[in-house]
Amino acid sequence: MAEQGWGSVPYVAEQFRRFYASRAERVKAPPEIKQREFGFLSFGGRSMFRHIAFDDVNQLRSHLAENTPAHAYYSAAYYSAPEAEMEYKGWLGADLVFDIDADHIDTPCKADHDRWRCRACGEEGTGRAPERCPSCGKAAFEEETWLCDRCLEAAKYEAQKLLDILIQDFGFSPGELEVNFSGNRGYHVHVRSPHVRGLGQLARREIVDYIMGIGIKPEYQGLSSRMRGGPPSLLEDGWRGRSVKALYDYINDATPDAIKALKLGRATTANLLEHRDKILRLLMERHPSSIVRYVDPKALERLMEAAVKEQASAIDTVVTTDVHRLIRLPNTLHGKTGWLAQTVAIDDLEDYDPLASAIAFTDGTERVYVRRAPRFRIGDETYGPFEEERVELPLAAALFLLCKKAARVER
Amino acid sequence: MISEREAAKYPFLKGAVSLVETLSLKVDDLADPSYSRVLDRGEQRVSEAILEGIVSASLGDALTEMLSFPVAVMFVTVVGDRFLDRRYALAEAVRVYELLKGESETRIARMAREEFGWNLRLIRRELDGQIYRFELHFTDYLRNAASFHEDKWKLVNRVMRDGYVLLTRVEAARLIQVEVEDLIRKRVSKHGRIALPDAVQERVDRVAKLFEEHRARIGGEELPSEVVSDAFPPCIRHAFEGLMSGRRASHMERFALTSFLVNAGMDLDRIVQLFVSVTDFDEQLTRYQIEHIAGLRGSRTRYTPPTCATMRTHGVCYNPDRLCKRIKHPLTYYRIKIRDFKKKGEGRPAE
Ligand code: SF4
Ligand SMILES: [Zn+2]
Ligand SMILES: [Zn+2]
Repeated sequence: MAEQGWGSVPYVAEQFRRFYASRAERVKAPPEIKQREFGFLSFGGRSMFRHIAFDDVNQLRSHLAENTPAHAYYSAAYYSAPEAEMEYKGWLGADLVFDIDADHIDTPCKADHDRWRCRACGEEGTGRAPERCPSCGKAAFEEETWLCDRCLEAAKYEAQKLLDILIQDFGFSPGELEVNFSGNRGYHVHVRSPHVRGLGQLARREIVDYIMGIGIKPEYQGLSSRMRGGPPSLLEDGWRGRSVKALYDYINDATPDAIKALKLGRATTANLLEHRDKILRLLMERHPSSIVRYVDPKALERLMEAAVKEQASAIDTVVTTDVHRLIRLPNTLHGKTGWLAQTVAIDDLEDYDPLASAIAFTDGTERVYVRRAPRFRIGDETYGPFEEERVELPLAAALFLLCKKAARVER
Repeated sequence: MISEREAAKYPFLKGAVSLVETLSLKVDDLADPSYSRVLDRGEQRVSEAILEGIVSASLGDALTEMLSFPVAVMFVTVVGDRFLDRRYALAEAVRVYELLKGESETRIARMAREEFGWNLRLIRRELDGQIYRFELHFTDYLRNAASFHEDKWKLVNRVMRDGYVLLTRVEAARLIQVEVEDLIRKRVSKHGRIALPDAVQERVDRVAKLFEEHRARIGGEELPSEVVSDAFPPCIRHAFEGLMSGRRASHMERFALTSFLVNAGMDLDRIVQLFVSVTDFDEQLTRYQIEHIAGLRGSRTRYTPPTCATMRTHGVCYNPDRLCKRIKHPLTYYRIKIRDFKKKGEGRPAE
């Protein structure tokens, strides 16, 4: 991809400039703006301008209008001196943030729209890049990632599961939560509550483990032969109910081959296949410990681990545990799509369609030469696939291809 | 103001501290023979910490008991060794835990709220044969339990609803132990030289000597100067071998490996070479990053490798073995393995 001019950067920058000139006032200040660090990536620039601070939202807006960044970020953290170098910033606390990105979710559509190319030998393939190049063994790739409705729906589903856990288990009120479409392949969830500000990395890691179901053990979810019984727990709050529900769904849905593939041992596998209905009925009607005579403890652990994945939410583990993280600023443009990052009311999330709502450029058309692009949708229209062709497209679609470096402006 | 007996039991309480203050004790007063029992008990507190890992709860003479705590704290402060700080703070905290287990729920709740500001509610709920007596807000829970290793303390294995975590009486006492340990560690870590009367200095010297004699046994040893790759834990071995074979590693995996090697004492040039030789990493950049991790740049703090729990979270705990069950940190694994090698008298493998 050494060719010059793919992406027509000056052209895109000019479009972004016009956007911010007229619409920077829609950018809102994050709460307690004075204590936040801001960071910006410029067009064509490689390094981040960070350690920037603003007194109020007007300064922030003029900065956007004057500098036209390709990407704009702010810190989840609060600092006494946000403009200082890291060691002198004076960390005061941080919002709890979650990043859900379709990049981390295994959607089958990736094989259709993503590609990779080995930097060393030029080998190419579709889907996600492998750990090592199958032909030369090196591990450096150029990757081309796209997105589609399935990716975005998958990310939204994960975000909804996350919100449920945050509200029901952690007791946050919807007013303490903010959900943002990231402007590309995912969602960010911010928790702003005095309770969470001071949490350290260890505590945040435990929260990550909770949300992802990492380290869950059946014996603490009521599934132990030591338990004396009691009512069924399927509908109880928290992981106690969720894990048993997960088991129920998993055992109910798994094919015999999938059960065998878990390598749960001969006796347990046979039981699961032969007594499936009985086990499911026990989970539904009795205390969950009543199934332990069908599934030995080690196997149960493995089974539960596999089962909870579906109920857990696929968040990025690093973002949440990093208390100095910069996060994309809502209502700014995403330089890799030309779309808006934007806040979505929790009640609207269900029906939210980023490919219609987050479109920033609504007027005009542009002629571009496209080298390759899969089919994509914007609003009610679908475009492509394109390969080595000239097309005239609505500005939003043209900018999307330019931001993806898949096209250049034809003049 | 709290009773002397209460202050003797829990000498770290705010009330106990101010009770001692009203006596306005001076360092020079301590040389007076009338204080010898207080000094004896103070010295005993520290030696119990070194030898047993727990300070006994001798509540016979309340005044002596109460006064011996600030004296012991002073001893530890003057010795000025970070490892002793930790050992002592833990031993005092375990003592408190043992005492708290015999207290009523209301007493436990009062201490938790008044001394440590917990958001705690008294309840009674029976579940799977356990009796839960408290609901604690998860933030207070995590502040104390997040460093625990056992599965039962992981938040995901707790019953939580609306932000509150169920606790039994004994569990609440265990979490208060952590608060107490933190509190005492903060107090003893303000190292400093104080001119002491000879009679008192003598005792400090004795304590310091006792600590040196037992340092190795209780685990405050330094690591060997060469890196012993046979003693690597499975996660680090996996990352190391992956690097050698050119497998693509996540950022976390590379960070874990680098910080581990730095802390295990590998020469920085060697680490840089290692990375550059097997990948197409830029040497300048690699060196910069490694020096950063080693604390030669930026904030000047040397990064320690992530704990096992963190490794697990980020999916880089790979194939844990039996020893892994007993440890919380890859470096601890390394230390234990090396100690085993020494014991078995195995030659150190050429690395
Ligand atoms: S338990 Fe710890 S030391 Fe063992 S493999 Fe996992 S991270 Fe490494
Ligand atoms: Zn190749
Ligand atoms: Zn897709």
